[in-house]
Amino acid sequence: MKEKVFALIEEALHVPEGTIQEDTMIADVEQWDSLAHVMIIGELEEKLGISIPLEEAIELTGVGELLEKAGIR
Amino acid sequence: MPRIALLSNINMDVVIRLLGKEVDIYRTEGYGNELGTLMNPASSYHTYGAGMVFFVMDLMELLEHDLDPTAAEGRIRQWFRNLQGTLKQEVVYYVSDSYLWGMELETTADMGRKLHLEGLWQQYLEKLCQVRQNVRILPFHRLIETLGSEKSFSMKMWYMGKILLSGEAQKRLCTLILDKVRVETRIPRKVLLLDLDNTLWGGLAGESDHTPIELSESHTGLAYKNLQRVILQMQRQGVLLGIVSKNNREDAMEILDAHPHMVLRSADFAVIRINWRPKYENIQDIAGELNLGLDSFVFWDDNPAERELVGTMLPEVAVPDFPASPEELAPAMGSIYREYFEKAYVTDEDRTKTAQYTANAARKQLEQETGDFQTYLEQLQIVITRVDPAKHMERLAQLVNKTNQFNLTTIRYTQGELARIVEGQEKLVYLYRVTDKFGDNGVVAAAVVDVEGRLPGDIMLKVENREAGQPVVEEFVMSCRVMGKNIEYAILEDVESDLKARGYTHLAGVYLPTAKNQPVEKLYDQMGYRKQEPLPDGGTGGTVYYLELAEVPKRPYAAKVISAVEADKEGLT
Repeated sequence: MKEKVFALIEEALHVPEGTIQEDTMIADVEQWDSLAHVMIIGELEEKLGISIPLEEAIELTGVGELLEKAGIR
Repeated sequence: MPRIALLSNINMDVVIRLLGKEVDIYRTEGYGNELGTLMNPASSYHTYGAGMVFFVMDLMELLEHDLDPTAAEGRIRQWFRNLQGTLKQEVVYYVSDSYLWGMELETTADMGRKLHLEGLWQQYLEKLCQVRQNVRILPFHRLIETLGSEKSFSMKMWYMGKILLSGEAQKRLCTLILDKVRVETRIPRKVLLLDLDNTLWGGLAGESDHTPIELSESHTGLAYKNLQRVILQMQRQGVLLGIVSKNNREDAMEILDAHPHMVLRSADFAVIRINWRPKYENIQDIAGELNLGLDSFVFWDDNPAERELVGTMLPEVAVPDFPASPEELAPAMGSIYREYFEKAYVTDEDRTKTAQYTANAARKQLEQETGDFQTYLEQLQIVITRVDPAKHMERLAQLVNKTNQFNLTTIRYTQGELARIVEGQEKLVYLYRVTDKFGDNGVVAAAVVDVEGRLPGDIMLKVENREAGQPVVEEFVMSCRVMGKNIEYAILEDVESDLKARGYTHLAGVYLPTAKNQPVEKLYDQMGYRKQEPLPDGGTGGTVYYLELAEVPKRPYAAKVISAVEADKEGLT
């Protein structure tokens, strides 16, 4: 599942495979702006059925946190 | 490629980013200010100079969630009024039709409300399209309907960033907009050329004793029937159809004319080439005949070898792929339509076509209202104008060579023969335009009279006992679109009176039966002509008729006839 999440984010951001890792911080990825963030949260739900509660989704700072809130460990 | 702009009352940044990879697109300053962007003279939009502007509007947001019909109409009217004030002549605008969506609709007891409010938007949108030729409709509603509203909207993205459409819906919207950009910038093709066996129907024509063709109301046969329905709709919207097929002509024509499940009939095809010649030769001939460039043609055939040969020999002809299984036929034709034929807007020519259909419907309605046929004919206010054949040579050739039903002798003439006949003194050519209160039916009837009673070829043998040196109608044709109004009586009577004025005393007419011209079998009888006695011997069972021009009976028609001399004076030819 983790790999699927990484791949989905990479596709949404149009960044090379392998860019997104568990320790990636949102602020460090140039393409990961607020608009891209909304799309990623939307597509996680649409494509992988992963629902992160709204308030938590807005506050996310990194991929590790995202996986945690999504219940993937 | 024109520069484009996408304006909306919801967040379209993702779609704009996606589009930005393909086209030069205006980067909006925020969102939800779609009209302000246009109305503010200081907006960066004006310096950008978009040639195409797309409005994708969310109706629920525009109505501010107020579902009261009166309030809704007020908001919609105001929005369109504002939009109209900003429109520029040189820009093409696409405005989305609407899909009303919001959680409160789930609890709205009035199930018709959604449809009603969407209908209001549609009314104003269509009205705007009528008065502004550069405004077109973006079929947004169909996009949502096809994908399904559950998959089209995302509450989470809406709450997070005012992005209402799901990722998939945004991608489809992007495709739709790019389609429209392409349609706006390419020249549509005009003619769809089709193979028959395993293309319009399953199986092979002419083997019906062993295996009937597949065309029916079920299974594979229905897949072919549905394909034909798609093609017929294209034809009605102005796509010319042609057949280029290797078959025994009789076998194929029997299916085209008589098979109960054929949706397309031979009359729906502008050209029919059923023979054993190479298809590219037929296509070259057709291009010459229709006076169109090869880049106007699309050729569709199930046989990959035929497709490849045409594609190689005539690279300008578009040769789309053929689907592997019958259930993909109709959708594949839909794609072909969008790819090659779809027009950005309706041309004057298309409009006239529609007008002709509408006028025909109105004529029919009048027939029902009036009941009495003679009264109906009078109310039609039919005017028949004799026109100069030399000025309508192409139409003349088309009439005499393409008319099958109302055709007394079915003699065919080449263009050259017709030119010699019109220029020469031996035959008289009468050509008529017909108009009525609903509009112009065009040049629709022609008669060829040999003034010395000569008939071509073997027909001559059958006409021996006629009056010497008197004229004979060797051909009389009329387009089926004006049949059933006794116009033929008025026309032949005009021919008779012209010949009488030229000093002739008798007129002969000939009926030669074919498989299709039964409708005119009794024409000369109805018009008071006498059968020649004894009937001439002849293999085809034709009949020769005579009339003394001093004894023309009264015939039941109601039409004003204008002869060529008058018509020229009035500038009607």
